[in-house]
Amino acid sequence: MIRCEHLKVTFNAGQATEKRALRGVNLTIPQGEFVTVIGSNGAGKSTLLNTIAGDIRSSSGRLHFDDRDVTSLSAAARTRDVARVFQDPLAGTCGDMTIEENMALAYGRGQKGGLRLALNEGLRKLFREQLSRLNLGLEDRLDAKMGLLSGGQRQSVSLLMSALQPSKILLLDEHTAALDPKTAALVMDITDQIVAEKKLTVLMVTHSMRQALDHGTRTIMMHEGQVAFDLQGDERSNYGVKDLLNLFAQIRPDGEELDDDKLLLGT
Amino acid sequence: MSLFSFLGTLEIGFIFGLVAVGVYLTFRVLDFPDLTVDGSFTMGAALAAALIIAGINPYVATVCAVIGGAAAGLVTAWLNLRFNILHLLASILTMTALYTINLRIMGKPNLALITEPTVLSPFQSLGIPNMYLKVIFVAVVVIAIGLLLAWFLKTQYGLAMRATGANPRMAQANGIVINQKIFAGLALSNGLVALAGALFAQTNGFADSTMGIGTIVVGLAAVIVGESLFNSRSMLVIVVSCIVGSLLYRLAVSVALNADFIGFNTSDLNLITAVLVGLALILPHLRREWKARKAANGGEA
Repeated sequence: MIRCEHLKVTFNAGQATEKRALRGVNLTIPQGEFVTVIGSNGAGKSTLLNTIAGDIRSSSGRLHFDDRDVTSLSAAARTRDVARVFQDPLAGTCGDMTIEENMALAYGRGQKGGLRLALNEGLRKLFREQLSRLNLGLEDRLDAKMGLLSGGQRQSVSLLMSALQPSKILLLDEHTAALDPKTAALVMDITDQIVAEKKLTVLMVTHSMRQALDHGTRTIMMHEGQVAFDLQGDERSNYGVKDLLNLFAQIRPDGEELDDDKLLLGT
Repeated sequence: MSLFSFLGTLEIGFIFGLVAVGVYLTFRVLDFPDLTVDGSFTMGAALAAALIIAGINPYVATVCAVIGGAAAGLVTAWLNLRFNILHLLASILTMTALYTINLRIMGKPNLALITEPTVLSPFQSLGIPNMYLKVIFVAVVVIAIGLLLAWFLKTQYGLAMRATGANPRMAQANGIVINQKIFAGLALSNGLVALAGALFAQTNGFADSTMGIGTIVVGLAAVIVGESLFNSRSMLVIVVSCIVGSLLYRLAVSVALNADFIGFNTSDLNLITAVLVGLALILPHLRREWKARKAANGGEA
């Protein structure tokens, strides 16, 4: 479970460039819920994810995982509970290291890195098994450099890596945005599989309205650093992309037109 | 080149193999260009020489030298991580400070270790001529440390250190405390370089306040020569290539200095170094360009 209480984040506080990225977010996500997060650019979606991961410190408010207050925990310490996949396929893996070394790193997440060899035959077998789920033929290329893989392959491996260690929370920050539609669909498929299998609590930021409604169990819309709408249950299942767009229009009372093409066109 | 000077070249090549491995750790593994080594090499020599002259056991003195070097590395890491001083600048600051500290340690600009015991003394009774003994001793020490380091880089901790340099964000997302790895890496690197300094002082019989100048260039030269010869992902091959690179570099310098027809003398060393490093950097680049041009021409035809 993730519980945000009045979470506020302000960048460059007190300066002319002050930006209030989160303005008091209240959000409770029960264990096992898959939440999709939408909103226009600068609405605070990524800031929310980075704050939960610990990359960004909140200026006020509290953050709880289950019953533990993790507000002051470092990003590295939070990785015991949190796994993440980034938007940029290059960000989630080390291009200079081999596939098996990358996976060994992820396998060590949340453990104390000791002076034992990071790789052994048992682990290689586990990695091969996991990679064969992707049907990309990567299970035979354990010692290939990560940098030789395509963006879609790297993102797929990143996903597998995020699930190598038991964690409760998975944070996906537009992890299919940099991929072509076919690869994106494949990666979403694996995402759904892993989430269902590991019963993870998920926050997925997406720019695609379609993706936001098709995946997960709950959708929230961020606007100006706050949760503007929270759709779940029957209400959500009756929603279409059009209805979401209407919602968007509502939260902009000044009649400002929706100018984010990706949001409209994304499939 | 006489046998004597050849053995001397090998000996120094092996010693600087340690420097190369240390430089590889910072420049390549951690992506932290660290110039502290110019100071920590001298510090290793100075500490070892001063302590041995003060009557301390040479092995204890050598360990102290390594600790001193590691401490210097920690200072550089601290300046960079705690106060956000650019890594290059932080290391230059430490290096500058070390110049004075080394003079203080020695009490004068140079110390001679002619009659004092050294790490070699326990083996002198074996009856191996001194000029062979020095090379064998240094080679065994350096190769053993190289093997240990290659193993270390394959452990969970070593892997985390490599990830810290290659992709800090990914490292952090996998629970690696980046700062801790940088502290450890710089301490290890400068500790190795200080060990090289301590060995150099004991095999060559002196420590001098200016002996560290250019250590970084020599170390980097060895890394680059090694990299251009071996292209491998295996940690063992990479570490060995640093040591081999150092040996080849020393041999090349020695040949250049000994070739009478060119007319170089020892004071031309820095120019030779610069030219050799330059060549090692330029040739692979030219080869890539040439290959690309050939591929482009082939495509048109």
